[in-house]
Amino acid sequence: MFALDIQGMGKSFKGKKRQVVEALQGLNLSIEQGEVFGFLGPNGAGKSTTIKCLMGLIKPTYGTATIMGEPIGSVASRMKVGFLPENPAFYDYLSAEEYLLFVGGIFKMSTALLARRTEEMLKLLELWDARKRPMRGYSKGMVQRVGLAQVLLHDPDLYILDEPMSGLDPLGRALVKNIIIDLKKRGKSVFFSTHITDDVEKVCDRVGVINKGQLLALDSVDHILQQGIEGYVVNITTVAGLREESFVTKSDLQIFIQRAISNQCLIEKIQPRRKDMEAFFLEIVAR
Amino acid sequence: MKYNKFLIPPHLLCLSGLLLYCLLIGPFTSYMRNKPIEEKLGYVPSIKLLKPLSADQKELTAASLVFKVMMYFGGLVSKAEQGTLIEQQPDLQGMSRLLHNAVRLDPYNMDAYYFAQGFLTWDARQFKVANDLLDYGMKYRDWDWQLPYFAGFNHAFFLKEYAKAAEYYKRAGELSGYDMYKSLAGRYLQESGQTELAIGYLHGMLRNANNQAVRQNYQTRLKAFQEVLRIEQARDQFKAERGGLPGSVEQLLQQGYLKPVPVDPYGGRFYLEPSGKVATTSKFAFATKNK
Amino acid sequence: MFAIIQITLKGIFRDRVFQGIMVLAVLFLFIPSAASLSMRQVTELSITLSLSLISFILLLLSVFLGATSLWKDMERRYTFSVVSLPISRSSYLLGRFFGLALFIVLTSVILGAAGCLVIKICSGIYPPDRPVVWGYLVLAIGFATLKYILLVGVALLLSTVSTSFFLPVFGTICAFLASGVTQQVYEYVNSPIALQVVSPFFKPTVTLLYYLLPNLAGFDLNVNAIYSIAPDQSGLLLTVVYFVAYTAILMGGATLIFGHREMK
Repeated sequence: MFALDIQGMGKSFKGKKRQVVEALQGLNLSIEQGEVFGFLGPNGAGKSTTIKCLMGLIKPTYGTATIMGEPIGSVASRMKVGFLPENPAFYDYLSAEEYLLFVGGIFKMSTALLARRTEEMLKLLELWDARKRPMRGYSKGMVQRVGLAQVLLHDPDLYILDEPMSGLDPLGRALVKNIIIDLKKRGKSVFFSTHITDDVEKVCDRVGVINKGQLLALDSVDHILQQGIEGYVVNITTVAGLREESFVTKSDLQIFIQRAISNQCLIEKIQPRRKDMEAFFLEIVAR
Repeated sequence: MKYNKFLIPPHLLCLSGLLLYCLLIGPFTSYMRNKPIEEKLGYVPSIKLLKPLSADQKELTAASLVFKVMMYFGGLVSKAEQGTLIEQQPDLQGMSRLLHNAVRLDPYNMDAYYFAQGFLTWDARQFKVANDLLDYGMKYRDWDWQLPYFAGFNHAFFLKEYAKAAEYYKRAGELSGYDMYKSLAGRYLQESGQTELAIGYLHGMLRNANNQAVRQNYQTRLKAFQEVLRIEQARDQFKAERGGLPGSVEQLLQQGYLKPVPVDPYGGRFYLEPSGKVATTSKFAFATKNK
Repeated sequence: MFAIIQITLKGIFRDRVFQGIMVLAVLFLFIPSAASLSMRQVTELSITLSLSLISFILLLLSVFLGATSLWKDMERRYTFSVVSLPISRSSYLLGRFFGLALFIVLTSVILGAAGCLVIKICSGIYPPDRPVVWGYLVLAIGFATLKYILLVGVALLLSTVSTSFFLPVFGTICAFLASGVTQQVYEYVNSPIALQVVSPFFKPTVTLLYYLLPNLAGFDLNVNAIYSIAPDQSGLLLTVVYFVAYTAILMGGATLIFGHREMK
């Protein structure tokens, strides 16, 4: 069973002047259990539309999808997932603690478990001191952390995060990254959307690139990085003690090294030079 | 979608609601229609509360009060016309209270004066109240000839205060620019001219009535007075020829002074009082149960 | 759904609008002195003023809190985080409705108690001609409560249709104003006198509106409470059934529309 299985899902809206806007066109995508998947695309590419369809906020025009085997839009499907909306907003008259207790109640958590998990999450996300204050007075970063706490609270197997790192300071981004890496270690599946390639490179197993409602590329991060190697920068010290840096193409590397050894040069550093995720992304989107 | 076990699906909820509504709306409507009249006129907060509450919409509030009374009165008249007995005495006091409130909110509201004049005099016989109201209105509507005209009529017809009546008629004449009202005053300001005075007044009121309920009310009354006038003329002819009062309306009929049998539109029977005055058993009002 | 009810109640009690409106309840303190202005019917006037004040506060609460509760959720994007939780949209909406209804009931109980106290004081100082029948008073407050719960239903239905704040708030106010006169207008239009004046197009329109709009005149038992007149029992029963049917239609329609609504 896939953690997330999207079969030919599409969504069209009626835009201005009654023209039909195809926000999403026949998306096919399956996420394995235990996989961290980055959904990459520029603004307005259809990332949020996909996620809103998955969470039952909007209905797909055609196609189907399942979450942990449950059809999307059902209460059961939402039971099995932790969802963080883009720029989340929560009832600002409640405190973080009250909100988590409310969410836990909806997830039908037992009172004892809920109390324990709430405390854990508030401490993990450094909200413990502010837990009794209404969220009205929270900073954007704090609200985002409440969102993360809410996502992690019931410990689901699948996490769907819409732009979890947008608008956060470096500290906040690091926190989110660490949480995702931790989830991966625990064998959880994560599906998150972003327009920042760096995030994907650091934490994802696989990445999908979407633009104008179409999935343009789908590959593992390792493979993309592997493919992107253009050559190597090699630093050597010659017998005369001169330091040299040369660029060697992939195919020439073997010969270069052999020649260097035979010339009694000292190879100090070999560093692959490659197109990074950003270049890959720009290339695909520009296509 | 899966639903909570406490919930019924929305379309089922909607359908069962609709079904219940359809079953119910008939009896509910008839219950509302047959609600006792006093309850229907409702309770309107006292003017002390109403005035500040209506803020800058005093005219609107006043108009809605008058509208309420007219609707109520319209319902009463239609019931009477249909021949059904009115279940209770019309709540004249309530109507009067509402109209008084209306003119205190908006002293220029002519509907209220016009309407109050209609029922306060003939039906409620509260001449003092009616005249006070008219005097109050005259202070504001100082261009309006109708208010002094009404007041003149009340003084002449009901109170028999001819001097006062002449004063009001004079004012009405000045305001309207016609001498008609002055001459009218001169002609009818005496006991014998009462019926014609009323007929003239009712004709005038009818000309201005655009509310059907009010119109009907005046028409009925006018018809009654026209019949009274016929009997009076027959009586006077009898008196001139025979030198004495006739004993009864029947006598006038038998001896050919009165041609078609007079019909009281209120459902009563005309008779002659010992003084010779024409009266009717209906007292110029529709029968009510409680009477 | 109970979680939503709880959240709704918390939300209302912490809402500035609610706190502002409840300040009006201070006016109860002035009722005894205001009522003593009346020469002949002090107790009656105190009942009138109390009932009017309760009605007025309930009206404001049901219009402003009822019509803004959904709108605020959507406007401030709370719906994204709540509707994506494992809860059906109908539970969410009905939770909101029952929360608001419960709140209206609580408020009218509290205000009703305050009103009864005020009336008790007034009738103690100036004994009325007809003794106050407390049962009728409770009945009048109870039916007023039902009336405003129904109005909350109207407000919720309108807010499922619209994305703006105006339709729910002004629509509810219009429905309230219209509902007070539909009965009179309907009767007038169907009376024989009206036949000649009313255009043939007008009559079916009024009849349609009469059946479509809520008829809140039936819930008005103020006269019965003020003058201690016994209300008609079968009529009361009909009114209650009317309330149940009309509310069911409102909430059924609202959940249907809300269920299909796209949260963009």
